[in-house]
Amino acid sequence: MCSIKRNMSHLFRSLLVYNTNIKIRKNISNVVLANSQTEVNSGERKTVTEPLNQDVSDITPYFPDTFNLAAYANKSETLQSLLQLQVNLSKIEKKPHIVNKILKMDFEKDMKQNIFFIKDYIGSENIGKYITKNPLILCEPIDDLQVRINYLQSKKFSNFQINEIVTKNPFWLMFSTERIDKRLGYFQNKFNLIGNEVRELATKQPKLITYSIQHINTNTFVVKEEMGFNEDETKKLLLNTPKIWMINQKSLLERFNYLHNIIKIPHDTLLHCPHVLLCRNFKVKQRHMFLESLGRAQYDPNKENYIPLKALIEKTDSEFCKIYAKCNIHDFNTFLKTL
Amino acid sequence: MVKIKNAALAYKTLNGLICVYKPSCVSVRQVQHTILTNLCRDLNELPDRPLEKRVEIVGATNAPMEVKLLPNYADDPLVCGPRYIEKDFRCSWATHLGLFSSGILLLGINDGTKLTYQLNVARLTRAFKVHGQLGKATDTYFWNGRTMERSTFGHVTRDKIDRIVAHMQAAHQKSMYEVSGLHIDSQTTYDLASQGLIRPANSKLPVVYGIKCVHFDPPNFTLEVQSVNEYEKYLWTLIHDLGVQLKTSAHCTGVQCIRHGKFDLQLALLRKHWKLEHIVDNMDDCRQLLEENENLLRPKTAKLTV
Repeated sequence: MCSIKRNMSHLFRSLLVYNTNIKIRKNISNVVLANSQTEVNSGERKTVTEPLNQDVSDITPYFPDTFNLAAYANKSETLQSLLQLQVNLSKIEKKPHIVNKILKMDFEKDMKQNIFFIKDYIGSENIGKYITKNPLILCEPIDDLQVRINYLQSKKFSNFQINEIVTKNPFWLMFSTERIDKRLGYFQNKFNLIGNEVRELATKQPKLITYSIQHINTNTFVVKEEMGFNEDETKKLLLNTPKIWMINQKSLLERFNYLHNIIKIPHDTLLHCPHVLLCRNFKVKQRHMFLESLGRAQYDPNKENYIPLKALIEKTDSEFCKIYAKCNIHDFNTFLKTL
Repeated sequence: MVKIKNAALAYKTLNGLICVYKPSCVSVRQVQHTILTNLCRDLNELPDRPLEKRVEIVGATNAPMEVKLLPNYADDPLVCGPRYIEKDFRCSWATHLGLFSSGILLLGINDGTKLTYQLNVARLTRAFKVHGQLGKATDTYFWNGRTMERSTFGHVTRDKIDRIVAHMQAAHQKSMYEVSGLHIDSQTTYDLASQGLIRPANSKLPVVYGIKCVHFDPPNFTLEVQSVNEYEKYLWTLIHDLGVQLKTSAHCTGVQCIRHGKFDLQLALLRKHWKLEHIVDNMDDCRQLLEENENLLRPKTAKLTV
């Protein structure tokens, strides 16, 4: 019984026009007014207990402001269709200004075209994730999107590359062609890249192109001045692991400091395995200290018992113990409890 | 290892104490946060309950209306968000461990928060390994401080350290009677003191019960300290004082908690094991240990046990 009551309240709520709250309130006041007028005119009904012969299913109770989209989900077909595409509405609702825009739209009329457009580039299985990340793509005019794709084609990006870019960076298509052009130019000048390298970089890490320029400037400073890589090495690093430019400069320097000044790994070895700079410092630290306690921390390929640098970051702990440390995982765990 | 069937059951079993190994340079709050987010992640991955249905009554009100059973979209995790979030858990620690200390940390989850309170009030002894280095004194007494003084330490031998450490221990034991909350001249105090060591009455002043030098390799050395109510900085000053008494200077290079009451390193969960199945296992182990040793939670006398 109780559950039916609850669902009834749900029903009344869902009978609402869901476009905007202001609109709803207006509707209600109109309806109520009209109703009271008929009552006055007819003058038949005196009390609420008497049966009513009119159809009142279009009258809805007052709908207060809501904090989430769940309140609308049962009635709105637009939201339901988005749900079927596996869009995570609970993530979208964290940004109220976007929700306001989405709620005013209609799936068939406004969204369908955009969804079909991006589907061609990202594949149907990624649509949900894509819209979750960037719901505002649905509000963008389709001509603009086409112009931005055309721009990439004019810059001789292959179709595969364009698909990669759009899939990996959902925000790419939100940027105007001037901004993208400026940013591609910035990377080309700053790191002396040739055309092919720019395309390669944009395909490998498209998020970097739309990243905060200030952040990229600081990280370039860290790599060049504080870590001491020269121009060529920086370029190599950028093309190999562009993600280095997207991590926090403080932790980047901390990791480099540990690898270069404490483990004493020279720059050119780091260049061969730049992924160590992306691994959290405590992981590198505990493996290195364990190897050192075993007397196996020998990272020079010209000497015997060489341990490659990537041993510090790759594989699970048990595999690391078996292959490189040549001991039982139990010993490693006991060692970790002495740190 | 227990097989976990569904999220709701797993959540219900998550009531109790866990014993984790806190790494240094990670704050206790961060440890709490990591554990709770990991728990939420693992719970949300487990099989979920079926989606709720919703009754809808449609049609004109002046004609017979139709009752329909429809899927409730508002109940979908994609709409209402993940089933378990960090706010669903309560979490508290038994005794605080400073930022630069590592070692055993007892955390209570959900109903376990009561246990942590009891453990805190029971004032269990903790054993620490305090690593020190001779020859340098810093302003914070820790290795990351500014160097204030350098001195030679060639004259320090194991014998000398042992002698001074024994002297320090004796001095601390004297203060044990003062913080026990008993009148020093009474018969009760005599009776208690004749049985052995006494726990402090409140949590204000640190009491050190034993100090021992367990490793000496100049300039590095390690002390093992058994104490109640201590805090990170207090242990650092202990090293500094030792340096002064040795007629040289010393600073602390690390603090590690190796025992808390009966909870020892073997029980502690490493950072890579902070996952649902390991945490549930650990909770069982802790529960067993608490059942076996009732005096951990409710000590009967002021006598120091464990």
